[in-house]
Amino acid sequence: MKLELTLNGRPCVTEAPGHWTVLDLLRDGLNLMGTKYGCGEGVCGTCTVLADGRPIRACLVLAAHVRGRALVTVEGLERDGRLDPLQTSFAERGAAQCGFCTPGMLLAAKALLAQNPAPTVDDVREALAGNLCRCTGYTKIVDAVLAAAPGAR
Amino acid sequence: MRLYPFDLVEPDTLPAALDALSPLDGEARLVAGGTALVPMIRLGLVKPDRVISLHRLPELAEVRRDGGTLQLGAMARLADIDTAPTVREGWPLLAEAARRVATPAIRVSGTIGGNLCYAEAASDPAPALLCLEAEVRVAGAAGGRTVPVVDFFRGFYETALAPGEIVTAIRVPATPAGARSGYVKFTSRSAEDRPLVGVAALVVRDSSGRWDDVRIGLGGVAPTPIRAPRAEAVLRGEAPGDATLRAAAEAAAREAEPLSDLMGSADYRREMIRVWVRRLLTSLRDGARSA
Ligand SMILES: Cc1cc2nc3c(=O)[nH]c(=O)nc-3n(C[C@@H](O)[C@@H](O)[C@H](O)COP(=O)(O)OP(=O)(O)OC[C@H]3O[C@@H](n4cnc5c(N)ncnc54)[C@H](O)[C@@H]3O)c2cc1C
Ligand code: FES
Ligand code: FES
Repeated sequence: MKLELTLNGRPCVTEAPGHWTVLDLLRDGLNLMGTKYGCGEGVCGTCTVLADGRPIRACLVLAAHVRGRALVTVEGLERDGRLDPLQTSFAERGAAQCGFCTPGMLLAAKALLAQNPAPTVDDVREALAGNLCRCTGYTKIVDAVLAAAPGAR
Repeated sequence: MRLYPFDLVEPDTLPAALDALSPLDGEARLVAGGTALVPMIRLGLVKPDRVISLHRLPELAEVRRDGGTLQLGAMARLADIDTAPTVREGWPLLAEAARRVATPAIRVSGTIGGNLCYAEAASDPAPALLCLEAEVRVAGAAGGRTVPVVDFFRGFYETALAPGEIVTAIRVPATPAGARSGYVKFTSRSAEDRPLVGVAALVVRDSSGRWDDVRIGLGGVAPTPIRAPRAEAVLRGEAPGDATLRAAAEAAAREAEPLSDLMGSADYRREMIRVWVRRLLTSLRDGARSA
């Protein structure tokens, strides 16, 4: 099956079998390894990417369902060699330890900040509720997102 | 891990979708958002030869008011139902329940039609739709039919759909004037879990404060989402004091048929029905919530 979409700001024309998910397309079809496979059941959130600015579970959504849409993966967060403010904030505040949850956390947070530039702690916790981290205990992740919020004081 | 390989069919009209579903060779499944179907395939619970996607049928995705009725296309996403001003203003109970499903990313993909057709007992929107007395529009090779939501759930993960049928829309009658409503979801482990117990309620008071219309819907407490007619009967015509509310919660706990699973035992579920039915009804009585 032929697929045309926008991937990290660039047009992308590719092929994928009909039973592939977005995660299969990214990792196996396009060799983008930033998006992780954790549970495969929609629970852990490490496969989160953005489709038209909204978070989706790459492990649950069929590749055919992102035809014509704009996908953003963790590889697409940096611009002209500069990290996204969220990435810098995560690095500076120790919000990544093993890093396995980090791509999903960053994209779920990116979607939140695009929609709500000045979130409260509760807003951040709710937006990240579906992203599990087995290392950090979440506090530093929430701090890092709040610090990167464009509307933060 | 890859999915069991299937052929994906992407019809762009409803008749073509019905055609793709009808041949009897092999197993065919519809996919809407895929948030329920994909894990089922991955876990090997279903092995369809053919998966028919509904994503190219834009008429199935609409969320619009039609006179007093809310028309929800089967492909309306839970996230869109939660945020649509039409729904928030006219059907706040449904918006509240849709917002409690799982996590943001699941709501962005998951559809209302998929939620009902999956027929999980622990659905968040189902108790709200039961209270709102919604109807399900179904299309089949032989034509269309309408099934009240209360008759749509037939058993554990079982619906009234016949093979080859597709849910096209959900029609929700107007929320009664002056109604107070609310949805509470109790989870025993983590906020984004499915409900251990979900309670939706809608009440309308007459001028003397008596409840002349009382509707209670429950999720997670029986093989399917259910209404709680005995609890409703305890309250109908009453201006309920605390004792009456407690009696209604007790009736709800008795008419439920909870199962035990990893989230909680049947006894614990029954106890949580008592607690959450009473708390929700108390807050509706005291005006802490309104529609
Ligand atoms: C991690 C996780 C957490 C979840 N938590 C919750 C929760 O808290 N509360 C809750 O209510 N739900 C929860 N769910 C269930 C969630 O999958 C549903 O709420 C969702 O709405 C299903 O919609 P879908 O479009 O993704 O369905 P799909 O997966 O596309 O389809 C589900 C089933 O319905 C059939 N189907 C779909 N559309 C139609 C149609 N129009 N006509 C006929 N048949 C159809 C499919 O063939 C399939 O069998 C959760 C799911 C996951 C993965
Ligand atoms: S791998 Fe997709 S949610 Fe866990
Ligand atoms: S940093 Fe290891 S899982 Fe989050």
